[in-house]
Amino acid sequence: MPTFDAQVSSVAEYVETLRALGRPTREFALPASVDGLREGLPVRVGAGANPKIILRGDTFVELGSPDAGSCAVVLWTETPSLIRDGTVTLIGPDVREAAGSSLPFGQIVLVGGTDLSAEEHQAIGQAQYVADQIEGYMVRSSSRNIWSRVSNEAATRGFSFETLGRSLMLIYKSSLPKVQAMEIVFVTSSRDDVLRLNDIARAVSDISMEIVKEHWKARGFDLECDLDCRSCHDKDVCDDVRKMIAARARKKNKAAAGQA
Amino acid sequence: MDRREAKDRALARYRQERDWFAFLLEAAGMMNTPEGQLQVKLLNILLDSKQKVVECVENDKPFIAAYFCTAPELFTAMDLPWFMIMETPFLGATAPYIMEDLQGAEEMGLGTDLCTAIRLPIYYIESGQMPVPSAVIGLLSPCDGTTMLQQILRHNKAWHNVPLFCPDPPYTSDERAIKYFAKELRQMVKFIEQHTGRKLDIDRLREVCEESNRSYALWQEYNELRRAVPCPHGWEIGGAQAFAVSQCFRAGDPRCTDWFRQLLECGEAKVKAGRGANDYVPEKIRLLWFDIMPYGWIFEFMPWLEQEWGAILVMDMFSNFPYTLIDTSSEETMFHDLAKRNLMDVPMIRQARGTAENFSSDIVRIVKDYKIDAVIWPGHMGHKDGAATAGIMRETCRGIGVPFLHIGLDLFDKRYTSVDEVKDKVSQFFTGMGLG
Repeated sequence: MPTFDAQVSSVAEYVETLRALGRPTREFALPASVDGLREGLPVRVGAGANPKIILRGDTFVELGSPDAGSCAVVLWTETPSLIRDGTVTLIGPDVREAAGSSLPFGQIVLVGGTDLSAEEHQAIGQAQYVADQIEGYMVRSSSRNIWSRVSNEAATRGFSFETLGRSLMLIYKSSLPKVQAMEIVFVTSSRDDVLRLNDIARAVSDISMEIVKEHWKARGFDLECDLDCRSCHDKDVCDDVRKMIAARARKKNKAAAGQA
Repeated sequence: MDRREAKDRALARYRQERDWFAFLLEAAGMMNTPEGQLQVKLLNILLDSKQKVVECVENDKPFIAAYFCTAPELFTAMDLPWFMIMETPFLGATAPYIMEDLQGAEEMGLGTDLCTAIRLPIYYIESGQMPVPSAVIGLLSPCDGTTMLQQILRHNKAWHNVPLFCPDPPYTSDERAIKYFAKELRQMVKFIEQHTGRKLDIDRLREVCEESNRSYALWQEYNELRRAVPCPHGWEIGGAQAFAVSQCFRAGDPRCTDWFRQLLECGEAKVKAGRGANDYVPEKIRLLWFDIMPYGWIFEFMPWLEQEWGAILVMDMFSNFPYTLIDTSSEETMFHDLAKRNLMDVPMIRQARGTAENFSSDIVRIVKDYKIDAVIWPGHMGHKDGAATAGIMRETCRGIGVPFLHIGLDLFDKRYTSVDEVKDKVSQFFTGMGLG
């Protein structure tokens, strides 16, 4: 099964690059346990914690809109030692420093667990879409990346990226017991900084698709057709079409040469 | 038959459809509610696009036949009237003559196992009841049936000399695929320019794409409202209409943006007031109908779902919003993003063109975001591509613990599985799953 270990290293390099470029960087060390994570949260976390949707007029800050830029990556590894458990890194301004604005948003979630396997892959990916689980925080229903809102009320109560990181860790660790370690990186410094993540995101997406295909195959379902030309019943037709195209091109070139 | 008679015959059904919508407009005009006024705006946009096609036929002006998923922003930018070849099943299947036309298709010998959305246009083409355009943009995905529709055109006497171009959709969904399809769209533009005399002005395309972005941004904002419990609108308002307004008539038109603005205002007002889809029955079951709505018998079924079960259609395949906005910074980015939208985002193409994973991942995300209580895969007889993934969808729903129903019906022809049978299956499902 393909793994994300190389991309985990790429994320560390990415953070170091931005640090070296002088981007303001903060680190928060959070407890490892679910109980420890729950303590000190200024908002409720869990199913139904955010029963209402956050309307435009109730929004304190918007994260990752198409104009501002967004990229979200979730990586998991069977080697938890690759991950600094409980660490939240914020590169760029925090929520309270961005009242009324629309921030670019990069979110990298790194998950480690010795028993993690393809079985958990989709659940790990889907858990970042928190739906109604964080009070005052709503991830919008966009199919790519994360575009989200923090409500005025949550901001008043002190909602920050430390809060968001703590909440995500709590959700992951309580819903996926095989998760042993978690690290999260948030990037809000600039659109360019966020979009630099796209290379990692593309590689992750390709690997992810392979894992999904293998996982469904193991359950007896083929996600895609066999597209190998050598086994296709229409190979002769395609070969003939190619020959005809080539013949026409030769004829056209010959005519053009004749005119010249 | 002389040319005038052929034209009149080709326009007869088209005019009849226009008049059907004009009748609906009259009825909508009597509804003195913000939602009623939304219907009026939508029908005005629709009627205007239909009228433009009629005028083109009558006055020998260029117009094309195409599909919602062939980048209609380009047609708007070229100021080129167009109609969807599958317009009747998609938009006009409530019209009173549909059963008569289905009968006509059968008498013509068209197999009843052939997708009705394809069978109807074949019938209109073969019986000379569809306006013959200046050029055709064909569709090679998501199913084999659409490909066959192009073959019918090539063999029909009135249509076989009409220039045809089909942008070739790659199977994969990566960056290479998007770039390839962007090139196909550029070829399509050249083809249209050649056969209609219209030219694509890139600055005009930018304006249209920016207008389209405004519409889509409002649509996305509106869709967030449908996550509210209770959902502010059901099957009638906002969902599939949003798809039609954004893609089926004149994409990137300020009137469409205006429609979305009003839709959002209506939705926000209802959410703030805590009001659900209707005032006569409380929301009990939040439904995902994962396909086109059953337009052939929608009035017999959807109100029943609400009245009998309090089942509100919170989301369906065509109301879903997987889109990204178009980057208008350059010609290249616009074609790239139009390619992405029309290859990977638009409904049905998104699900059935490539790997089956999209069926699965869309369901998971929608169920979670919209607090869905039950997923219905209607199992339209023409969606054989989707039928192959019904097992994957069922497994997916089992995995996330949401009840899943696969019915087996025809979305446009109620004779296939009667409405009573469908109601019975749905009732048994709700009861069996403890939802009602």
